[in-house]
Amino acid sequence: MLIDLRAVTKTYQAGHVAVPALKGIDLRIHHGEFVAIIGQSGSGKTTLLDILGCLSHPTSGEYWLDGENTNVISESRLTTIRNQKIGFVFQTFHLLPRKTALDNVQLPLMYAGVPRVSQHRRAQELLTMVGLQDRLLHYSNQLSGGQQQRVAIARALANHPALLLADEPTGNLDTQSGKDILDMFETLHRDGQTIVMITHDPSIAQRANRRITLSDGQVVADETSDLSASARPISSEQT
Amino acid sequence: MIGSIFQDALKNLTANLLRSSLTMLGVIIGVASVITMIAIVEGGQLWLVNSIERLGTNLLFVWKKRLTVEERRIFAGRNTQLRYEDALAIRERFPELDVAPVLEIDQKIKAGDRDYSGRVTATSPEFSTIRNFHPASGRFLTSTDLHDWHRTIVLGQTVAQALFGSSPALGEEVKIRDHRFTVVGVMEPKGEIYGQDYDEMMFIPITTGMRFFTGTNKIRFLILHVPQRERMPEITEELHQFLVQRHDGVDDIFIRNQGEFLGAVEQTIWTFRIVLSGIALVALLVGGIGIMNIMLVTVTERTREIGLRKAIGAKRRDILLQFLIESTTISIVGGTVGIVVGIVAAYGFGNMVAQAMPGGGDWGAVIQPSAIAIAFLFAIAVGVTFGLFPAIKASKLDPAEALRYQ
Repeated sequence: MLIDLRAVTKTYQAGHVAVPALKGIDLRIHHGEFVAIIGQSGSGKTTLLDILGCLSHPTSGEYWLDGENTNVISESRLTTIRNQKIGFVFQTFHLLPRKTALDNVQLPLMYAGVPRVSQHRRAQELLTMVGLQDRLLHYSNQLSGGQQQRVAIARALANHPALLLADEPTGNLDTQSGKDILDMFETLHRDGQTIVMITHDPSIAQRANRRITLSDGQVVADETSDLSASARPISSEQT
Repeated sequence: MIGSIFQDALKNLTANLLRSSLTMLGVIIGVASVITMIAIVEGGQLWLVNSIERLGTNLLFVWKKRLTVEERRIFAGRNTQLRYEDALAIRERFPELDVAPVLEIDQKIKAGDRDYSGRVTATSPEFSTIRNFHPASGRFLTSTDLHDWHRTIVLGQTVAQALFGSSPALGEEVKIRDHRFTVVGVMEPKGEIYGQDYDEMMFIPITTGMRFFTGTNKIRFLILHVPQRERMPEITEELHQFLVQRHDGVDDIFIRNQGEFLGAVEQTIWTFRIVLSGIALVALLVGGIGIMNIMLVTVTERTREIGLRKAIGAKRRDILLQFLIESTTISIVGGTVGIVVGIVAAYGFGNMVAQAMPGGGDWGAVIQPSAIAIAFLFAIAVGVTFGLFPAIKASKLDPAEALRYQ
């Protein structure tokens, strides 16, 4: 099992008023699943993404990631987990401007302490995989939205993360580019990559094989498509 | 990783060239002023020490004290003057000292149809060695000149020029009042030291001076050269006692030590050094505040970038280091430019002083490697110190909030 959320709550403090964002989430996600988390704005899906991505701690409850209880570990270890086990893809890409596609993909490798030569080779390999082998030295602001998101995916995959965490990955893209990105996710999923994608759009969620619906800080639906379920590698179920 | 962080820092600085340059300007001005100030003070000190050394070293000056009316009444009839015989007595009592008695006579000197109004110094042969002032041609006064009241004269460069132009002065005759003097020497050019233009001096034997011009054996002052510096205080004391005794117990002389003068000068220079360094450091401090200001703006502007870096694996110290290196880069680049500007300014200012100051021809700024090192280290320290707060602020940002910062 990759993700195990046990009675997770999150409450924000807005002045003197406590605002509950998550009201007790129990959720298990296995290796190799392609999960969409659906919800309207204010449903708590961004808060859930922060917790899944180890960007913030739950107020109560436990979050186990790949067998490790994230509540009890230091900030430094949490950073290492983000670096090694999680790959982020954001709606707004979050590429560094004034840096080439190659530099952007090398960034998580640099923080992982990978030697420079290997950083370069791995980044080149990843950019080739997402079809940008002829854009290696383009600056990120010289690329189209779809290309930028592909650079972001390459960056997310740099350290072979156990979890690819995508937050509205197609939100800022035109229909065709969005479709390309989702196709890429499907390919990655077929190759065994665990993906959790957050979206407000049910039609995009249809591309995943499991859809979890959030509303008002609680899970209100959790459905699995039989068709995609069969495509899930059985071996990873055992872990 | 440090290497690539440093590259990033340079890239970020060049991306905002105008802003970076303005920030650096503070550091540049700070470092340049540190270097210029130190160079000027050091130059001034060197010039003073040099000119003191050109005057001769280890010197004692004996002057007659001015007595009050009351004292003059009390000591009436006692031997209360500084006289030529005092000089002779000192020579006998302290054979290791060089003694030059000095008498000054303001006169007009004539040579043919040209004349020159100036001060004639009547002295002894020792004057030349004591003051480290030698003839360029001919000779200085000799003991024979003194013994036989020779009417010989040695001219300074300016005087020789004024009286004889470019033709040789040696062996020519000049007239002072109605007395004919033979030019036996012309002094080397020495220039002005402490308001005294040595090239305007001329020398006659002191005995001749007393006999033909003053008619008494009173002299104006005595210069003495002490061979060992460490014996100066001891000799000063002995000399004082000796002279008081000679003057029938009247303490009517005072002895000035050249070292005391040097000490006073050095104290003044230290005051200058402290005040000027203070000003320069304030300039550098202001530069540092500029760095802190711009780094705080940078951290705010790049909140999302910081959030992203933290999300993909940058630890606190990575972020801290990144911003610290960036602020230090500003101070290193600013410091380097500041060093160049400082050196140019110091030499420029040095030349200006050399031209503006009478007799300051050999005045120059002195740039010591240690001054450059100090200024540069201070600049780096400023970059680190003032970059620390913004860098800590950046490193403590919450990644989730930073990512969604608008």
